[in-house]
Amino acid sequence: MSQKDVQNRIASVKNIQKITRAMEMVAAARLRRAEQRISSLRPYAGAIRRMTRQAAAAAGGEVGSQPILAERDEVKAVGILLVTGDRGLAGAFNSQILRAGIRAAAEHEAAGRKVVFFASGRRGVSSLRFRGREPQGDYTGFSDRPAYANAREIAEDLMTAYVDRDVDKVEIFYNGYVSALSQVVRNETLLPLQQATLLEGGEGDEDGNSQDQPDHGHHALVEYEPDPADILQRLVPDYVEISIYRALLESTASEHGARMTAMRNASENAGEVIEDLTLEMNRARQAEITSEIVEVVAGAESLV
Amino acid sequence: MATKFRVEVLTPEGELFNDEVEMVSTRTEVGSIGIRANHTPLLGMLTPTELRLYKSDSDIVTLAQGEGYVQVSADGVLLLVEEAHQKGDLDVADLREKVRRADDAIAEAESGSEAERRARRDKRRAEAFLGVAGEGDAAAH
Repeated sequence: MSQKDVQNRIASVKNIQKITRAMEMVAAARLRRAEQRISSLRPYAGAIRRMTRQAAAAAGGEVGSQPILAERDEVKAVGILLVTGDRGLAGAFNSQILRAGIRAAAEHEAAGRKVVFFASGRRGVSSLRFRGREPQGDYTGFSDRPAYANAREIAEDLMTAYVDRDVDKVEIFYNGYVSALSQVVRNETLLPLQQATLLEGGEGDEDGNSQDQPDHGHHALVEYEPDPADILQRLVPDYVEISIYRALLESTASEHGARMTAMRNASENAGEVIEDLTLEMNRARQAEITSEIVEVVAGAESLV
Repeated sequence: MATKFRVEVLTPEGELFNDEVEMVSTRTEVGSIGIRANHTPLLGMLTPTELRLYKSDSDIVTLAQGEGYVQVSADGVLLLVEEAHQKGDLDVADLREKVRRADDAIAEAESGSEAERRARRDKRRAEAFLGVAGEGDAAAH
Protein backbone atom coordinates (compact mmCIF):
# COMPACT_ATOMS: atom_id res chain seq x y z
CA MET A 1 0.00 0.00 0.00
CA SER A 2 1.27 3.48 -0.78
CA GLN A 3 1.42 6.22 1.80
CA LYS A 4 -1.65 7.88 0.29
CA ASP A 5 -3.76 4.71 0.50
CA VAL A 6 -2.86 4.21 4.13
CA GLN A 7 -3.71 7.83 4.90
CA ASN A 8 -7.14 7.37 3.33
CA ARG A 9 -7.79 4.26 5.36
CA ILE A 10 -6.79 5.99 8.58
CA ALA A 11 -9.19 8.82 7.79
CA SER A 12 -12.08 6.43 7.18
CA VAL A 13 -11.43 4.40 10.33
CA LYS A 14 -11.30 7.66 12.29
CA ASN A 15 -14.73 8.54 10.91
CA ILE A 16 -16.10 5.17 11.98
CA GLN A 17 -14.64 5.74 15.41
CA LYS A 18 -16.37 9.10 15.66
CA ILE A 19 -19.70 7.46 14.86
CA THR A 20 -19.27 4.62 17.33
CA ARG A 21 -18.19 7.07 20.05
CA ALA A 22 -21.29 9.18 19.41
CA MET A 23 -23.51 6.09 19.51
CA GLU A 24 -21.88 5.08 22.78
CA MET A 25 -22.63 8.46 24.28
CA VAL A 26 -26.24 8.43 23.06
CA ALA A 27 -26.71 4.95 24.53
CA ALA A 28 -25.24 6.10 27.85
CA ALA A 29 -27.68 9.02 28.05
CA ARG A 30 -30.64 6.80 27.16
CA LEU A 31 -29.49 4.22 29.68
CA ARG A 32 -29.63 6.79 32.45
CA ARG A 33 -33.17 7.73 31.48
CA ALA A 34 -34.20 4.08 31.29
CA GLU A 35 -32.79 3.48 34.78
CA GLN A 36 -34.83 6.42 36.08
CA ARG A 37 -37.97 4.96 34.57
CA ILE A 38 -37.38 1.65 36.31
CA SER A 39 -37.18 3.47 39.63
CA SER A 40 -40.28 5.56 38.78
CA LEU A 41 -42.33 2.36 38.59
CA ARG A 42 -41.46 1.22 42.12
CA PRO A 43 -43.76 3.55 44.11
CA TYR A 44 -46.70 2.70 41.84
CA ALA A 45 -46.10 -1.05 42.03
CA GLY A 46 -45.73 -0.81 45.82
CA ALA A 47 -48.98 1.15 46.16
CA ILE A 48 -50.88 -1.36 43.98
CA ARG A 49 -49.58 -4.14 46.20
CA ARG A 50 -50.69 -2.37 49.38
CA MET A 51 -54.15 -1.75 47.92
CA THR A 52 -54.41 -5.40 46.91
CA ARG A 53 -53.64 -6.42 50.48
CA GLN A 54 -56.18 -4.01 51.85
CA ALA A 55 -58.90 -5.10 49.42
CA ALA A 56 -58.07 -8.78 49.95
CA ALA A 57 -58.29 -8.33 53.74
CA ALA A 58 -61.65 -6.58 53.34
CA ALA A 59 -62.88 -9.32 50.99
CA GLY A 60 -62.14 -11.97 53.62
CA GLY A 61 -58.41 -12.54 53.20
CA GLU A 62 -58.63 -14.01 49.72
CA VAL A 63 -57.96 -12.56 46.30
CA GLY A 64 -60.83 -14.67 45.04
CA SER A 65 -61.10 -16.96 42.10
CA GLN A 66 -60.11 -15.25 38.90
CA PRO A 67 -59.60 -16.94 35.56
CA ILE A 68 -56.00 -15.72 35.27
CA LEU A 69 -55.16 -17.30 38.64
CA ALA A 70 -56.57 -20.70 37.69
CA GLU A 71 -53.94 -23.28 36.90
CA ARG A 72 -54.80 -25.70 34.10
CA ASP A 73 -54.56 -29.42 34.75
CA GLU A 74 -53.27 -30.07 31.28
CA VAL A 75 -51.09 -27.64 29.36
CA LYS A 76 -51.81 -28.14 25.66
CA ALA A 77 -50.59 -24.80 24.34
CA VAL A 78 -47.93 -22.41 25.64
CA GLY A 79 -47.63 -18.74 24.80
CA ILE A 80 -44.08 -17.41 24.62
CA LEU A 81 -43.48 -13.66 24.74
CA LEU A 82 -40.07 -12.55 23.50
CA VAL A 83 -38.98 -9.03 24.46
CA THR A 84 -36.38 -7.69 22.01
CA GLY A 85 -35.35 -4.31 20.63
CA ASP A 86 -36.37 -2.45 17.49
CA ARG A 87 -32.74 -2.05 16.45
CA GLY A 88 -29.57 -4.08 16.33
CA LEU A 89 -25.96 -3.02 16.95
CA ALA A 90 -26.23 -4.12 20.56
CA GLY A 91 -24.09 -7.22 20.75
CA ALA A 92 -25.89 -10.41 21.75
CA PHE A 93 -28.86 -8.48 23.17
CA ASN A 94 -31.45 -9.64 20.63
CA SER A 95 -29.96 -12.97 19.59
CA GLN A 96 -29.72 -14.39 23.10
CA ILE A 97 -33.46 -13.82 23.65
CA LEU A 98 -34.34 -15.47 20.36
CA ARG A 99 -32.06 -18.40 21.08
CA ALA A 100 -33.55 -18.93 24.56
CA GLY A 101 -37.12 -18.60 23.30
CA ILE A 102 -36.68 -20.94 20.38
CA ARG A 103 -34.96 -23.53 22.56
CA ALA A 104 -37.88 -23.38 25.03
CA ALA A 105 -40.33 -23.69 22.14
CA ALA A 106 -38.52 -26.79 20.85
CA GLU A 107 -38.73 -28.36 24.31
CA HIS A 108 -42.47 -27.69 24.56
CA GLU A 109 -43.07 -29.06 21.09
CA ALA A 110 -41.03 -32.17 21.85
CA ALA A 111 -43.37 -32.72 24.80
CA GLY A 112 -46.38 -32.41 22.49
CA ARG A 113 -47.43 -28.89 23.45
CA LYS A 114 -48.37 -26.29 20.90
CA VAL A 115 -46.38 -23.04 20.98
CA VAL A 116 -47.82 -19.61 20.22
CA PHE A 117 -45.31 -16.78 19.87
CA PHE A 118 -45.77 -13.15 20.86
CA ALA A 119 -42.93 -10.72 20.24
CA SER A 120 -42.15 -7.13 21.08
CA GLY A 121 -39.39 -5.33 19.19
CA ARG A 122 -38.79 -5.40 15.42
CA ARG A 123 -35.77 -7.65 15.76
CA GLY A 124 -37.74 -10.37 17.48
CA VAL A 125 -40.72 -10.09 15.14
CA SER A 126 -38.64 -10.21 11.94
CA SER A 127 -36.41 -13.05 13.18
CA LEU A 128 -39.46 -15.14 14.08
CA ARG A 129 -40.99 -14.47 10.66
CA PHE A 130 -37.71 -15.38 8.99
CA ARG A 131 -37.84 -18.73 10.76
CA GLY A 132 -41.41 -19.28 9.65
CA ARG A 133 -42.82 -18.67 13.13
CA GLU A 134 -45.42 -15.96 12.58
CA PRO A 135 -46.07 -14.35 15.98
CA GLN A 136 -49.72 -14.15 17.03
CA GLY A 137 -49.04 -10.73 18.52
CA ASP A 138 -46.35 -8.30 17.38
CA TYR A 139 -45.59 -5.06 19.19
CA THR A 140 -43.05 -2.67 17.71
CA GLY A 141 -41.96 0.94 17.61
CA PHE A 142 -41.50 1.60 21.34
CA SER A 143 -38.45 -0.35 22.49
CA ASP A 144 -36.53 2.93 23.00
CA ARG A 145 -39.15 4.24 25.37
CA PRO A 146 -41.96 1.85 26.30
CA ALA A 147 -45.13 3.37 27.79
CA TYR A 148 -47.45 1.65 30.25
CA ALA A 149 -50.10 1.55 27.51
CA ASN A 150 -47.75 -0.68 25.45
CA ALA A 151 -47.45 -3.10 28.36
CA ARG A 152 -51.21 -3.04 28.87
CA GLU A 153 -51.83 -3.91 25.23
CA ILE A 154 -49.49 -6.90 25.43
CA ALA A 155 -50.88 -7.98 28.82
CA GLU A 156 -54.45 -7.78 27.56
CA ASP A 157 -53.62 -9.88 24.50
CA LEU A 158 -51.96 -12.51 26.68
CA MET A 159 -54.72 -12.54 29.28
CA THR A 160 -57.36 -12.73 26.58
CA ALA A 161 -55.55 -15.68 25.02
CA TYR A 162 -55.32 -17.33 28.43
CA VAL A 163 -58.89 -16.71 29.55
CA ASP A 164 -60.36 -17.64 26.18
CA ARG A 165 -58.24 -20.83 26.35
CA ASP A 166 -56.01 -20.30 23.31
CA VAL A 167 -53.07 -20.98 25.63
CA ASP A 168 -52.78 -22.71 29.01
CA LYS A 169 -49.60 -21.04 30.15
CA VAL A 170 -47.61 -17.93 29.21
CA GLU A 171 -43.87 -17.47 29.58
CA ILE A 172 -41.82 -14.33 29.05
CA PHE A 173 -38.18 -14.06 27.94
CA TYR A 174 -36.40 -10.73 28.36
CA ASN A 175 -33.01 -9.23 29.11
CA GLY A 176 -32.98 -8.52 32.82
CA TYR A 177 -31.02 -5.41 33.71
CA VAL A 178 -28.18 -6.03 36.15
CA SER A 179 -25.82 -3.19 35.23
CA ALA A 180 -24.61 -1.31 32.19
CA LEU A 181 -22.10 -4.10 31.63
CA SER A 182 -24.25 -7.07 32.50
CA GLN A 183 -27.64 -8.23 31.19
CA VAL A 184 -29.04 -11.70 31.78
CA VAL A 185 -31.77 -13.59 29.99
CA ARG A 186 -34.71 -13.97 32.36
CA ASN A 187 -37.51 -16.43 31.88
CA GLU A 188 -40.64 -16.06 34.01
CA THR A 189 -44.10 -17.55 34.00
CA LEU A 190 -46.64 -14.76 33.52
CA LEU A 191 -49.81 -16.84 33.47
CA PRO A 192 -51.33 -18.39 35.44
CA LEU A 193 -50.51 -15.71 37.97
CA GLN A 194 -49.35 -17.08 41.31
CA GLN A 195 -51.48 -16.06 44.31
CA ALA A 196 -48.33 -15.88 46.40
CA THR A 197 -46.85 -13.10 44.27
CA LEU A 198 -49.91 -10.95 44.97
CA LEU A 199 -49.81 -10.88 48.72
CA GLU A 200 -46.23 -11.53 49.70
CA GLY A 201 -42.97 -9.66 49.39
CA GLY A 202 -41.93 -7.74 46.34
CA GLU A 203 -40.31 -4.39 45.87
CA GLY A 204 -41.56 -1.09 47.11
CA ASP A 205 -43.46 -2.38 50.10
CA GLU A 206 -40.85 -2.29 52.81
CA ASP A 207 -42.95 0.35 54.49
CA GLY A 208 -46.23 -1.24 53.44
CA ASN A 209 -46.18 -4.11 55.91
CA SER A 210 -45.77 -1.98 58.96
CA GLN A 211 -48.44 0.48 57.82
CA ASP A 212 -51.18 -1.91 56.85
CA GLN A 213 -50.96 -4.84 59.18
CA PRO A 214 -51.80 -3.43 62.62
CA ASP A 215 -55.08 -1.72 61.79
CA HIS A 216 -57.40 -4.57 60.88
CA GLY A 217 -60.12 -2.87 62.88
CA HIS A 218 -60.31 0.16 60.65
CA HIS A 219 -61.06 -1.77 57.46
CA ALA A 220 -64.66 -1.89 58.59
CA LEU A 221 -64.80 1.89 58.38
CA VAL A 222 -63.45 2.15 54.88
CA GLU A 223 -65.92 2.71 52.09
CA TYR A 224 -65.46 0.65 48.95
CA GLU A 225 -66.61 1.74 45.52
CA PRO A 226 -67.47 -0.89 44.27
CA ASP A 227 -67.14 -3.95 46.59
CA PRO A 228 -63.63 -5.07 47.54
CA ALA A 229 -64.15 -8.27 45.58
CA ASP A 230 -64.92 -6.25 42.43
CA ILE A 231 -61.91 -4.02 42.97
CA LEU A 232 -59.76 -7.15 43.19
CA GLN A 233 -61.14 -8.24 39.83
CA ARG A 234 -59.13 -5.42 38.35
CA LEU A 235 -56.22 -5.19 40.75
CA VAL A 236 -55.15 -8.75 40.00
CA PRO A 237 -54.72 -8.28 36.22
CA ASP A 238 -52.68 -5.16 37.02
CA TYR A 239 -49.93 -7.46 38.27
CA VAL A 240 -49.56 -8.97 34.82
CA GLU A 241 -49.44 -5.49 33.27
CA ILE A 242 -46.87 -4.30 35.79
CA SER A 243 -44.72 -7.43 35.31
CA ILE A 244 -44.69 -6.88 31.56
CA TYR A 245 -44.05 -3.16 31.94
CA ARG A 246 -41.13 -3.84 34.24
CA ALA A 247 -39.77 -6.40 31.75
CA LEU A 248 -40.08 -3.84 28.91
CA LEU A 249 -38.27 -1.20 30.98
CA GLU A 250 -35.52 -3.58 32.02
CA SER A 251 -35.16 -4.73 28.45
CA THR A 252 -34.82 -1.11 27.30
CA ALA A 253 -32.15 -0.39 29.92
CA SER A 254 -30.38 -3.62 28.94
CA GLU A 255 -30.54 -2.70 25.26
CA HIS A 256 -28.90 0.67 25.87
CA GLY A 257 -26.34 -0.94 28.17
CA ALA A 258 -25.52 -3.61 25.61
CA ARG A 259 -25.27 -1.04 22.83
CA MET A 260 -23.04 1.16 24.94
CA THR A 261 -20.68 -1.76 25.56
CA ALA A 262 -20.77 -2.89 21.93
CA MET A 263 -20.01 0.62 20.71
CA ARG A 264 -17.24 1.10 23.26
CA ASN A 265 -15.62 -2.11 22.01
CA ALA A 266 -16.02 -0.93 18.43
CA SER A 267 -14.36 2.40 19.28
CA GLU A 268 -11.47 0.60 20.97
CA ASN A 269 -11.04 -1.72 18.02
CA ALA A 270 -11.02 1.27 15.70
CA GLY A 271 -8.29 2.81 17.87
CA GLU A 272 -6.17 -0.31 17.48
CA VAL A 273 -6.67 -0.35 13.73
CA ILE A 274 -5.62 3.31 13.58
CA GLU A 275 -2.45 2.54 15.54
CA ASP A 276 -1.52 -0.33 13.23
CA LEU A 277 -2.21 1.75 10.15
CA THR A 278 -0.18 4.68 11.50
CA LEU A 279 2.77 2.34 12.01
CA GLU A 280 2.35 1.03 8.49
CA MET A 281 2.19 4.55 7.13
CA ASN A 282 5.39 5.55 8.95
CA ARG A 283 7.10 2.49 7.53
CA ALA A 284 5.92 3.35 4.03
CA ARG A 285 7.14 6.92 4.44
CA GLN A 286 10.52 5.72 5.79
CA ALA A 287 10.86 3.37 2.82
CA GLU A 288 10.20 6.23 0.43
CA ILE A 289 12.76 8.47 2.16
CA THR A 290 15.35 5.66 2.14
CA SER A 291 14.90 5.05 -1.54
CA GLU A 292 15.21 8.79 -2.26
CA ILE A 293 18.47 8.98 -0.31
CA VAL A 294 19.79 5.95 -2.15
CA GLU A 295 18.93 7.68 -5.43
CA VAL A 296 20.62 10.92 -4.39
CA VAL A 297 23.74 9.12 -3.18
CA ALA A 298 23.87 7.05 -6.35
CA GLY A 299 23.44 10.23 -8.46
CA ALA A 300 26.21 12.01 -6.53
CA GLU A 301 28.57 9.05 -6.88
CA SER A 302 28.13 8.99 -10.65
CA LEU A 303 29.26 12.64 -10.82
CA VAL A 304 32.55 12.02 -9.02
CA MET B 1 -61.03 29.28 52.53
CA ALA B 2 -61.59 25.54 52.42
CA THR B 3 -59.24 23.23 54.31
CA LYS B 4 -56.51 21.83 52.13
CA PHE B 5 -55.23 18.29 52.02
CA ARG B 6 -52.43 16.42 50.30
CA VAL B 7 -53.10 14.76 46.92
CA GLU B 8 -50.71 12.57 45.04
CA VAL B 9 -51.25 11.35 41.47
CA LEU B 10 -49.03 8.41 40.70
CA THR B 11 -48.66 6.61 37.38
CA PRO B 12 -46.36 3.72 36.41
CA GLU B 13 -44.28 6.34 34.62
CA GLY B 14 -43.82 8.47 37.73
CA GLU B 15 -45.47 11.06 39.94
CA LEU B 16 -47.62 13.58 38.08
CA PHE B 17 -48.95 15.69 40.90
CA ASN B 18 -48.15 16.09 44.57
CA ASP B 19 -49.62 19.15 46.22
CA GLU B 20 -52.22 20.51 48.63
CA VAL B 21 -55.69 20.98 47.19
CA GLU B 22 -59.15 22.00 48.37
CA MET B 23 -61.07 19.44 46.36
CA VAL B 24 -60.62 16.50 44.00
CA SER B 25 -63.26 15.73 41.42
CA THR B 26 -63.17 12.40 39.62
CA ARG B 27 -65.28 9.35 38.81
CA THR B 28 -65.35 5.84 40.26
CA GLU B 29 -67.20 2.76 38.97
CA VAL B 30 -70.07 3.88 41.20
CA GLY B 31 -70.28 7.45 39.90
CA SER B 32 -68.87 10.96 40.05
CA ILE B 33 -67.22 11.86 43.29
CA GLY B 34 -65.95 15.02 44.89
CA ILE B 35 -63.49 14.67 47.74
CA ARG B 36 -62.89 17.40 50.28
CA ALA B 37 -60.80 17.44 53.43
CA ASN B 38 -61.75 14.89 56.13
CA HIS B 39 -63.53 12.60 53.70
CA THR B 40 -64.35 9.08 54.97
CA PRO B 41 -61.58 6.55 54.23
CA LEU B 42 -62.29 5.14 50.80
CA LEU B 43 -60.92 2.68 48.31
CA GLY B 44 -62.42 3.14 44.89
CA MET B 45 -61.91 2.02 41.34
CA LEU B 46 -61.50 4.92 38.93
CA THR B 47 -62.95 4.98 35.45
CA PRO B 48 -61.67 7.16 32.61
CA THR B 49 -62.81 10.73 32.98
CA GLU B 50 -61.61 14.28 33.49
CA LEU B 51 -59.75 14.53 36.78
CA ARG B 52 -59.93 17.98 38.39
CA LEU B 53 -57.64 19.05 41.20
CA TYR B 54 -58.81 22.31 42.77
CA LYS B 55 -55.83 24.09 44.25
CA SER B 56 -58.28 26.96 44.72
CA ASP B 57 -61.53 28.06 43.08
CA SER B 58 -59.67 29.59 40.21
CA ASP B 59 -56.55 27.42 40.05
CA ILE B 60 -57.66 24.04 38.74
CA VAL B 61 -55.36 21.34 37.37
CA THR B 62 -57.14 19.17 34.82
CA LEU B 63 -55.95 15.80 33.56
CA ALA B 64 -57.40 13.07 31.38
CA GLN B 65 -57.46 10.11 33.72
CA GLY B 66 -57.41 6.47 32.62
CA GLU B 67 -58.34 3.49 34.77
CA GLY B 68 -57.00 3.37 38.29
CA TYR B 69 -57.72 3.52 41.96
CA VAL B 70 -58.32 6.16 44.58
CA GLN B 71 -57.42 5.73 48.21
CA VAL B 72 -58.57 8.24 50.80
CA SER B 73 -56.93 7.96 54.20
CA ALA B 74 -55.98 10.22 57.07
CA ASP B 75 -52.75 11.03 55.21
CA GLY B 76 -54.57 12.43 52.21
CA VAL B 77 -55.65 11.18 48.81
CA LEU B 78 -53.66 8.85 46.60
CA LEU B 79 -54.73 8.47 42.99
CA LEU B 80 -53.12 5.58 41.16
CA VAL B 81 -53.81 5.84 37.46
CA GLU B 82 -52.53 3.72 34.61
CA GLU B 83 -52.26 6.76 32.40
CA ALA B 84 -52.94 10.45 32.76
CA HIS B 85 -52.50 13.10 30.09
CA GLN B 86 -52.57 16.85 29.87
CA LYS B 87 -55.48 18.05 27.80
CA GLY B 88 -53.12 19.45 25.17
CA ASP B 89 -51.32 16.13 24.75
CA LEU B 90 -54.43 14.27 23.61
CA ASP B 91 -54.42 13.30 19.95
CA VAL B 92 -58.02 13.54 18.78
CA ALA B 93 -57.45 11.74 15.48
CA ASP B 94 -55.68 8.90 17.26
CA LEU B 95 -58.48 8.62 19.83
CA ARG B 96 -61.16 8.51 17.11
CA GLU B 97 -59.17 5.76 15.42
CA LYS B 98 -59.09 3.87 18.75
CA VAL B 99 -62.87 4.15 19.11
CA ARG B 100 -63.29 2.85 15.57
CA ARG B 101 -60.92 -0.08 16.15
CA ALA B 102 -62.66 -0.92 19.42
CA ASP B 103 -66.02 -0.94 17.61
CA ASP B 104 -64.59 -3.34 15.04
CA ALA B 105 -63.21 -5.55 17.79
CA ILE B 106 -66.57 -5.57 19.61
CA ALA B 107 -68.34 -6.59 16.40
CA GLU B 108 -65.80 -9.33 15.78
CA ALA B 109 -65.51 -10.70 19.31
CA GLU B 110 -67.61 -13.57 20.60
CA SER B 111 -70.18 -12.20 22.97
CA GLY B 112 -69.16 -12.72 26.58
CA SER B 113 -65.51 -13.31 25.71
CA GLU B 114 -62.56 -11.60 27.33
CA ALA B 115 -61.76 -10.04 23.96
CA GLU B 116 -65.15 -8.33 23.93
CA ARG B 117 -64.85 -6.99 27.49
CA ARG B 118 -61.45 -5.60 26.67
CA ALA B 119 -62.63 -3.86 23.49
CA ARG B 120 -65.43 -2.22 25.50
CA ARG B 121 -62.90 -0.94 28.01
CA ASP B 122 -60.72 0.45 25.21
CA LYS B 123 -63.73 2.16 23.70
CA ARG B 124 -64.85 3.67 27.00
CA ARG B 125 -61.36 5.04 27.66
CA ALA B 126 -60.95 6.56 24.22
CA GLU B 127 -64.42 8.15 24.39
CA ALA B 128 -63.73 9.59 27.83
CA PHE B 129 -60.47 11.10 26.59
CA LEU B 130 -62.29 12.57 23.59
CA GLY B 131 -64.70 14.11 26.08
CA VAL B 132 -61.81 15.68 27.98
CA ALA B 133 -60.41 17.01 24.71
CA GLY B 134 -63.77 18.66 24.07
CA GLU B 135 -64.63 16.33 21.20
CA GLY B 136 -67.04 14.08 23.08
CA ASP B 137 -70.14 14.72 20.99
CA ALA B 138 -68.40 14.36 17.68
CA ALA B 139 -67.19 10.94 18.77
CA ALA B 140 -70.66 9.69 19.54
CA HIS B 141 -71.67 9.78 15.89
